[in-house]
Amino acid sequence: MAVIEVIDLVKEYNGEAVVDGVSFGVEEGEIFGIVGPNGAGKTTIVESIEGLRRPDGGSIRVLGLDPISDRYKVTERLGAQLQESRLQDKIRVGEALEVYASFYRNPADWHALLDRLGLAGKERARYSELSGGQKQRLSLALALVGTPEIAVLDELTTGLDPEARRSTWDTIEQIRASGVTVVLVTHFMEEAERLCDRIMVIASGRAVAIDSPAGLVERIGTEQRLRFRPSEPIEDATIAALPDVTEVERSGPQIVVSGTGNVVHAVTALLAQRGVIAENLRIEQVSLEDAYLALTSRDGAPGDAESEGI
Amino acid sequence: MAATAELIRVESRLFARDPIALFFGLVFPAVLLAALGFLFPGFDEPSPDLDGARYIDVYTPIVLALGLATLGLVTLPPILGTYRQFGILRRLRTTPVHPFRLLGAQLVVHAAVAIGAAALAILVAVVLFDVPIPENPFWFAVSFLLATASVFSIGLLVGAVAGTTVSGQAIGMAIYFPMLFFAGVWIPRSIMPDGLLTLSDLTPLGSAVAAFEASWFGTGPSALSLVVMAVYTLIAGVVAVRVFRWE
Repeated sequence: MAVIEVIDLVKEYNGEAVVDGVSFGVEEGEIFGIVGPNGAGKTTIVESIEGLRRPDGGSIRVLGLDPISDRYKVTERLGAQLQESRLQDKIRVGEALEVYASFYRNPADWHALLDRLGLAGKERARYSELSGGQKQRLSLALALVGTPEIAVLDELTTGLDPEARRSTWDTIEQIRASGVTVVLVTHFMEEAERLCDRIMVIASGRAVAIDSPAGLVERIGTEQRLRFRPSEPIEDATIAALPDVTEVERSGPQIVVSGTGNVVHAVTALLAQRGVIAENLRIEQVSLEDAYLALTSRDGAPGDAESEGI
Repeated sequence: MAATAELIRVESRLFARDPIALFFGLVFPAVLLAALGFLFPGFDEPSPDLDGARYIDVYTPIVLALGLATLGLVTLPPILGTYRQFGILRRLRTTPVHPFRLLGAQLVVHAAVAIGAAALAILVAVVLFDVPIPENPFWFAVSFLLATASVFSIGLLVGAVAGTTVSGQAIGMAIYFPMLFFAGVWIPRSIMPDGLLTLSDLTPLGSAVAAFEASWFGTGPSALSLVVMAVYTLIAGVVAVRVFRWE
């Protein structure tokens, strides 16, 4: 069952469409990722779902409700973590949770929530005393304190160090395991690949693909690449003649062979037969990041994706 | 209701954790009155400048008005600017509680501090300098509430348009000092020239001081003072609600 249904969403700023006819559905219990370059419209989409923005076109249904006209009902059941939102410097962690818990009819036990999010013992800490990772985990706690059915997390792990990011991933998986549907806006393909059941790729306000991580990779092809330095000279043409090889390139002393299917086996067999040792052999496969870059640059925003440093 | 009570509780704690706001909002009027009374020779004696009245009697209502203006124009707008700048109001919009309740909580906290500050200042005036208690307590209370409403509405309006902490401070200050002038902080109203006095009567703090004086030493405030304060409350309040931006 789709808990979020977005049909032909349009949002304009100053006459320019930043979201231009996006449609998607989020299924109950899944982790749905939204990825795309900066300014592609990701945040505008989730803020429309949260009721912070009024769409200029199309429709949004969250648990069958309109986020604007049924604001009260939707906010009871959807927890949001906003990008660039912070708390008062001098508020204590426990106070913030106590206040937010008072907003909801069925608040969670926030002490347990703090334990789960690795903030146990921080009840008395002031917001300004928290590290970046702790602030993010607190904002996650505030998003969950109303026991929502849906959690919308906008760049939760941006600005975190790799360790904090990984522990946050575990937390998100636990949240889903507890039955909450998660919508995750992220910049990190590794994060999307690890967590998301399905990913929507947004470029220039349009959805260019909605698929599982594996599905997105397959769209780009199942190409594999071998990169090695031959111990003895070997002719490019000999390699190129092998079945499944699509391209042979030289990169300094290295040979880069691209191909599909059994290309790895074919090349290594040839080298073994010739008595050539493949030094520094590396095998590369298309990653989600490659797929992402291909998808986002194909859609009229070339270079944008690369300069992102996703 | 639980949410509103919780918001008021936390906002009052946050106010108490800001030593500058606490000093200027709560104790400064009393401290100022004590300092004036003790440091200026003859401040608590009848003065020929004031037709035999004492400066301390004239300044007590002025200092109360100054206290209100400090809370409404110096403390309140930057808090609203900060809450907007930090995205705190925006974050509230994604919960079942409307951010209006946070503004309401702020106003309640500020009003409570205003009453506390006035009580402290009156205590100092009465105990240390033999200033009489207001002759007409009912009208004094009405005048004080109306003055609080008008000054806070203006502060809310400043906070409604101030996008950040700093712009809240700047706009608030730009209104604060002229208002203090018309309240008689530098030239008490009783010795203002007629033209200036008329202008003062039409400003929020000028009418506040006029109403305080009239209920303290006379029978009650003039209709003009009450109407001026009510009109400021209404206009500033309505405009503030209209132009308020949550982000």
